[in-house]
Formats: sequence, structure tokens, C-alpha cells
Amino acid sequence: MKILGRESLRVAVVGLGKMGILHASILNTLPDVQLTALCDKSAMIRRFCKRVFEGVHLVGDVEELSDLRLDAIYVTTPISSHFLVIKTIYSKGIARNVFVEKTLASSYDKAKELCALAQSFGGVNMVGYQRRLNVSFMKAKDLLTQGTIGEVASFNGYAYSSDLLGSRKNSKTSVFRGGVLRDLGAHVVDLALWFFGDLTVDSARLESATKRDFEDSVYFRVKGSDGLEGEFNISWCMENYRLPEFGLLIKGSKGIMRVDEDKVELKLDNGKSSMWYRHDLNDNVDFLLGAPEFSREDQYFVKSVLEGCNAEPSFCTASKVDYIIDQVEHGSG
Amino acid sequence: MSNESEKMLLVGDNPFHGISHLSQERARVRGDAITHAEHAAKLVVTSLENGANGFMFSVSEITLSILRMIRETGGSERLRLYAIVPYAYEYVRLVTQIGVLGLAKNFAKQIAVSGNVRAIAMGLKGVIRVDPVALMKTYLIYEISRIKSSAGKQANLDSVLLHEIITDMALALNLDWLFKSYVDFMLELGIKPGFETRNFVFLANKFKEWSIDFEKIAIAAPFNKVGFQMNPSKDECEKALANLPETGVLAISVLAAGYLKPLEASKYLQTLPNLKGVVVGVSKETQARETFRLLKENLI
Repeated sequence: MKILGRESLRVAVVGLGKMGILHASILNTLPDVQLTALCDKSAMIRRFCKRVFEGVHLVGDVEELSDLRLDAIYVTTPISSHFLVIKTIYSKGIARNVFVEKTLASSYDKAKELCALAQSFGGVNMVGYQRRLNVSFMKAKDLLTQGTIGEVASFNGYAYSSDLLGSRKNSKTSVFRGGVLRDLGAHVVDLALWFFGDLTVDSARLESATKRDFEDSVYFRVKGSDGLEGEFNISWCMENYRLPEFGLLIKGSKGIMRVDEDKVELKLDNGKSSMWYRHDLNDNVDFLLGAPEFSREDQYFVKSVLEGCNAEPSFCTASKVDYIIDQVEHGSG
Repeated sequence: MSNESEKMLLVGDNPFHGISHLSQERARVRGDAITHAEHAAKLVVTSLENGANGFMFSVSEITLSILRMIRETGGSERLRLYAIVPYAYEYVRLVTQIGVLGLAKNFAKQIAVSGNVRAIAMGLKGVIRVDPVALMKTYLIYEISRIKSSAGKQANLDSVLLHEIITDMALALNLDWLFKSYVDFMLELGIKPGFETRNFVFLANKFKEWSIDFEKIAIAAPFNKVGFQMNPSKDECEKALANLPETGVLAISVLAAGYLKPLEASKYLQTLPNLKGVVVGVSKETQARETFRLLKENLI
């Protein structure tokens, strides 16, 4: 099959950390994709990958991808570098279609600039908020769209993990990952924006448990349209969260819905209640690595590129998360 | 090597690590007691007394403690071990905290401190030549020595299985040379090479293409009535199993992470041909007794 005038979609991955290797592996299973190149600054990682990713170009700088006739690039570098890497990809004409792991940028100003660049260069652009492709959250979105719990009046979103519980004082980890709000909280903020539309921050409180440069726990309140009120609790210093956990409790005029990655629970005022686990929601994928949502995400982005359709969340959609984060960070006092 | 024809009923270790694939909330509600090695060791022993004949575990500090406790109670002789390496959760957590290179440095330090001369020599070769196979062998020597020193000489280490994240990533990247090197190396050590996967159909097709001998390996893959984690579909997994009559497939996720009752799970498993055994995690004494009695009655 000819794609964009070639036999398959030529894709590169920039940044070979955990997420880069995950995406590269899944992409390699997709029939319409040719994993063409990998880019990482570390010479040691490149040497190791040369043996593992046979037949794939390995480079140390994004600009070296220029001559490879790439159709799409996955950017999986640390958040602080997204802006420069994506700007280089567009300005040097390396590829028109760009996927980037969340968050889009390290500030709303930079995110806006990337949106403008993406729009001027065309192509498909998407940010990796893969919880949107989790079957529980997809079910919750459907139920909300159908008005199952009526008009939404309020919600409580949370994102917890034990990742930095008890880690050393002044650990570099939180700096490397950009703080809990960008690292963990961004997912639940994106879900809330997807579920409820635009939000503005009303008040916020940031805490840094061990005097790191970035926050470890965040609480903030938001307002939406039609009197909607919401609050977020986000922390990576919680006890007993072996894996990161995201969820929302949503109160509507007809009942309550609880949703997390594993299940959706409905309790309606008329006495009816329902529960769906992942098992009930057709969670299988063609190839499972990490979690089913990663496979769905890559399939969806590739399909969007092949068909020339928009992918969501696009840079512009996802920049709203950067906007909320900026509001929280700058408005918390 | 073990009795090849014997059906295996293995105790799984997920609950001992605080894992519930049904919901993370459920795992937290269970509390900490289950993750204490002493309590977990009692559950394994109770399971063995009620029909289980082996233990499948990820190699971690807690499971090595469990093995030491079982050895102290004299239970190692009848215990057949199926070890999964690496303990992916711990390594993923470390990568999240310190990055890929940080993990590599940490691991090199552990090997050096262990004083395992063979592992150190193989590891140096792997680093100098950037040889993934040598690094893999280093890691395997190190982990197998940890298992044997904890379980004691009496224990039977039937199989060492590559964790699903490694198996499935190597499958995705078409690393046939890695699989073949792993199989050859484990057979040299007299241990059955095994592979845990959530992509059973994909693995079966690739292994056929690469001429990997199914009679010499163990495969652990999800099989349950509701098709949970049976990718790409329950139907295709069942067909692939039926087409591999000679293999040693161990069914995991048989209760679909607690979504199914043991009785309905075992009725489904009875309908499947060619299963070598099943793996079930238990978190309470009564559950251990009832589940393994039931499975023994229905599956063996």
C-alpha cells in the first residue's frame, strides 16, 4: 500500500527514555509504519540502541534527522526541551506531523508559540494525554455527553502517586520531571477540560515537602461555565500509591459518577446504580505494551496522519492544560 | 528439570506486591499485611497443602524473603519455582526517578557488590562491547544466584521467565536473536526458558516464524472467561492455543484479576486444550484453601 507516495509512514522518535522506547516499540508493530530513526543525546544509549534497533538511523541531534524524508516525529524528551525540539522540527522542515508527550511545553507562552508554528506548517499535531484513550474515561465521557447524571454542578479530580514519597531532600527528580503538576497533574487537568470545557483557576495552594525547586503537592479550585465548580488534589508523595492513580468524582443534577482508570461507577438519584470495569468495556488491543491506551494512542495518531485528519488533543487543545498550570503556579502566591 | 507431564497449579505473587489488576483502589484496601513476607509465606504453604505444587514469582526482596521463610519451615522440597525476571515494577519506578542511565549505573553497582565473579566478568564484557546478550546473561546469572541462595538447594527452579514488558518489547522489535540467545543460555543452565506475555497470538506467530522449539519453553499468558488481557481477542488466543499442542502454556489472569469466581474460572479453563497449568494469586488463608482445592478437583 502506498502512503503519502511511499510504501509506509516514516517515523522517528526523539528521546529514548522510558516513553521513547515504549512508543518506538509499539510503532514497530504497526503495519503502516516504518520506524526510520531514533535520536538521543546520550552516546551510550545510542550505542546500545544500535544493536537493538537494527536498520534504524541513530542520531544525536534533531537536525541530523533533516535528510531522512520523515513523515512524523514523536518527541519524548523531558518537558523542558519540548519547545526547542519541536521548533527545530518545524523550522528545519524535518517533518510536518508531530506527536509530543505531555505537557506540550514548560509554560503557556511557549505552548502558544508552538500552536502557532504547528498551524502555520500544517500537518497533524497531538499531545500524549493517553488517559483519553483509557476505556473507563471514554465510558465516562460518553455518559456525560448523554447527560446521564444531568447538569454537572461540581467535580473533584485527583492524581496521586508514591513516586517521591520519602525521596531525598533536594532530589533532582522533581526538577527533572518538572514538578508534580506537569508530571502527574496534567493528565487529570486534561481529562477535566475534555469532560467539562474551559476552566479558570479560582485559588491554589502549592507545597514542596522537602524544599525542592518544584512543587510536590498541589490543591486548587477552578470554575467553569454555568456555575460549574471543581477542585484538584495532586501529589506524588502519597502513601500506598504503588502506581500513579487518576480519577474524578462528578456530581450532577441527577446523580453522581466516580471514574478512575479501572472502573466507572454511577449512582443516580432515582435509585439506579451501575458499575463498569475495564473488563466490561472491550479493553483489548492489537498489541499490548505498558497499557492498552498507549497502543490506541499510537494507532490513532498514525491513522490521523494517514488520513490527513486532526488528532485530539491537538497542540491547541492541549495548550489549555499549560494555561491552567501557569495559572496555578503564578496565582498561588 | 521437572516431571514434564505433571500439571502445574502455581501460586501467583501479585497480591504479595500489592497488585490488583481489577483496581488499584482494591489493592490499597487490602492493606499492608498481605505484603509482609511472613504472612505471604504462610499463604504459599497453605496453598501447597491444598493442591498447589509451585510458586510463580517476580524476583524481588519480598519474594526472596518468602523463599527463605519457606525453606526454614522445610517446605522447599515440594516447591517448584517459576521465577519471573526482571521485577519490572521496581526498574520502571527507578527509571522514572533516575532515568535509564541512572538505572544502568545502579544495577552495575549491585552486581559489583554481589561479588558474583561470573556475573562481573560477563557484565564487563557486555559493557565494553555494548553487547546486550552478554548484559542479559550477566543479569540472569545474578538473579538465578539470588533465587538459589534464598530458596536453598532443595528447591526446584523449573523455569525462569522473562517478564512481559521485556518479552513483549523484544517481540515488538523483532529481536529473534535475543530470544534465541536466551533459550540457548537457559537450556545450558538446565532451566526451562520461559516467557510471560500479554500478546500470546503475536508471540506464537513470531516463535513459529523464528523456529523456536515450543517443547523446550514455557509460556505464561492470560486465559480467562471474559477475555481480559487476551490480545488481540479471546477467540484468537484460544485458536492459537489449540494450534500449539506440544507447548507448556501456563494460564495467568485466570480469575481476570478477581472479576471471576474460581468456580466459573475453572469451568472455562476445563474447556481449553493444551494447558500445562494455571497460576492464581491468593490473599487470604480461606481463599488459598478453597481456590486450590477447587482447581485441583477440576483441572488435575
